[in-house]
Amino acid sequence: MNENLFTSFTTPTMMGLPIVVLIIMFPSILFPSPSRLINNRLVSLQQWLVQLTSKQMLAIHSHKGQTWALMLMSLILFIGSTNLLGLLPHSFTPTTQLSMNLGMAIPLWAGTVVTGFRYKTKASLAHFLPQGTPIPLIPMLVIIETISLFIQPVALAVRLTANITAGHLFMHLIGGAALALTNISASIALITFIILILLTILEFTVALIQAYVFTLLVSLYLHDNT
Amino acid sequence: MLQSLIQNVWVPMRPYYTQVYQEIWVGMGLMGSIIYKIRAADKRSKASKASSPAPAHGHH
Repeated sequence: MNENLFTSFTTPTMMGLPIVVLIIMFPSILFPSPSRLINNRLVSLQQWLVQLTSKQMLAIHSHKGQTWALMLMSLILFIGSTNLLGLLPHSFTPTTQLSMNLGMAIPLWAGTVVTGFRYKTKASLAHFLPQGTPIPLIPMLVIIETISLFIQPVALAVRLTANITAGHLFMHLIGGAALALTNISASIALITFIILILLTILEFTVALIQAYVFTLLVSLYLHDNT
Repeated sequence: MLQSLIQNVWVPMRPYYTQVYQEIWVGMGLMGSIIYKIRAADKRSKASKASSPAPAHGHH
């Protein structure tokens, strides 16, 4: 039973060849590049969504921060589409793998830190000490702030991994339980209702993506503007 | 074909790859060094386990 539960998270291979790269590249097919001034319905809808998201997200950034618009929009589209596609039955979600999420989090977080140190060295170093701390507490607080800085990429990656994996596991469990309870018809209505609620809640992976990009965004904002 | 692909990708993305994403390349280098260190440590521990075949728990 445990074997069945976790095999959905193994990287898929077809006849010994790893096809996980194909699976990671698949969502890009769903976003055709706009080639005209006025495109077809799908492309227009996607363009409108991207414009809505980017306007809201980049409004707080300075000129330097807004050069990251392409990266942030690609990030939110990729994670959003990958997570939503993973809700289909028997599909593989690349963002359940910690390796992939660390691979996204570490370069981007390091990019923001290096940007801050490069262009605003004094302000970046000043982040390690909040305003108004009593003098005896300064050494301890610098250590705490350093730890909290270095924990940021790990937190970004683990947050995404844990949320998606936990959601998928939970759906497997509840679905299995519902199947097993069909013989006992008293609980079947309740269990299927819980499955429905869970799936709806799981649609909020898109909200999780918002959390991911927003967190990254806040980090970039802090390093650029302050 | 490869040339046209480079033309379609590299030419429009050139200012990004060369200027905007400089710090991200540094971050990718950091990530690569972390991956290298983890793999090297794993190889070292596997090699030491293979070369010294004394089991931790004796066969009862």
